[in-house]
Amino acid sequence: MLSLHISPSSGVPVYLQIEQQIRQSLASGLLRPDEALPSIRRTAADLRINPNTVARAFSNLEREGIIRTVPGGGTFVGSLTASGSGLLKAEKLRRIRPLVAQLAIEAAQLRLGPDDIHKLLDSAIDDLARRSRTATRSSGEDK
Amino acid sequence: MTTYALQTFELVKTYNTGISLFGKKTNAVNALSLNVPEGSNYGLLGRNSAGKTTTIRMAMGLARPTRGSIRVFGLDPARDPERVTVLQQVAYVPEDKVLVASFTVRRLLELNRAFYSSTWSDDMARKVCQRLELPLDLAFVRASLGNKTKTALVAAIAQRSRLLILDEPTTGLDPLVLDELLRLLVEDCTAEGRTVFLSTHQLPEIEKIADYIGIMDRGKLLLEGRLDDIRSSFRRLTVRGASLPGTGPQILSATCNTDATQYILQRDPDEFERLLVADGANVIESVPLSLSEIFLELCRTSEEVEDEQAIL
Repeated sequence: MLSLHISPSSGVPVYLQIEQQIRQSLASGLLRPDEALPSIRRTAADLRINPNTVARAFSNLEREGIIRTVPGGGTFVGSLTASGSGLLKAEKLRRIRPLVAQLAIEAAQLRLGPDDIHKLLDSAIDDLARRSRTATRSSGEDK
Repeated sequence: MTTYALQTFELVKTYNTGISLFGKKTNAVNALSLNVPEGSNYGLLGRNSAGKTTTIRMAMGLARPTRGSIRVFGLDPARDPERVTVLQQVAYVPEDKVLVASFTVRRLLELNRAFYSSTWSDDMARKVCQRLELPLDLAFVRASLGNKTKTALVAAIAQRSRLLILDEPTTGLDPLVLDELLRLLVEDCTAEGRTVFLSTHQLPEIEKIADYIGIMDRGKLLLEGRLDDIRSSFRRLTVRGASLPGTGPQILSATCNTDATQYILQRDPDEFERLLVADGANVIESVPLSLSEIFLELCRTSEEVEDEQAIL
């Protein structure tokens, strides 16, 4: 199930917040492949945000193959293998680089060494994989 | 091609503010050029007496421009018979929600329904009353400010017009009702392709539902554009380095402290940051600004410029 939270005063454009949260929900298994997403209108009304903003986020995600729209049939999460596959490796790296740079700065300020950071990163990746596995398993039980 | 619901061209409105014949003239609106795309949810932001209400009154044909022009769907709202066509397509919630004291909500809605019979929706009137918790048999003589605002909103939304003009639509509304109003505007206006043009100084609410923003101060337009574009053009940058630039097209303001310089950037922040780094500067912090911060910075800077001009 998708649950979005928008923080309008954060300075991050709202369409980007939506994109990031949908990507994150998919990565963590909160959203499952082929799951139906609420309509643009519904999402906009629920979040009290402009429908054009939701449409912009959805169309960006669709271009990347993360979600797909069936004309007249609604919007669905893409299959897992498809998500992100529409992007070149260079583009994927370009996107993640600022986050890593931010991490490096914070770590330096807190006087944390590379070992500490590597360890944290590894455990975060493991965590995500575990949650994703659990979600897949419980989706199997549903059926 | 973009079509516009509302456009103004070098619009000026001058009022006499003195009491004698030789009294001072003030430009309530000063060379204003607004572009409100059809289908947008446009927030006109400004402090008190920025000229928002005067602009809206001219759009409704309630005041005549001193110079320049204003067009609603390409028509002149101050000239007959075009005015009639404008009024058929526009719903308006004025700033002062003055309603006939002896009327009830029901009576007012019936009048509006007769007046706008071709577009009016009873279902929508019922739905909005319910959502905003407005009793139909309430007489305005006993109505609170919030209930007067709600009544004006119900009448405007149920009119199902192409353009909805709301002047300070949140006056007197409690947070729950305000939240319902935002939902109604999103779901039953913008999602159906209707244009919503609203003025306010309540930034946090509007920042969510608006996709276009205009910021006015003392009659002038300081900034206009797509909200997402505006958000990504502004940034606060704290930098340490030698011989940093003090002015430039990207810089809205620069404050030098003993050990660092703080910039408020209004354009191409990435490029500016790259140039500084290439010159050997050290970027300490680079953060986006919220709409409230952008609003404050712009109003502050424009006041400083005007004060300087007044001294010269």
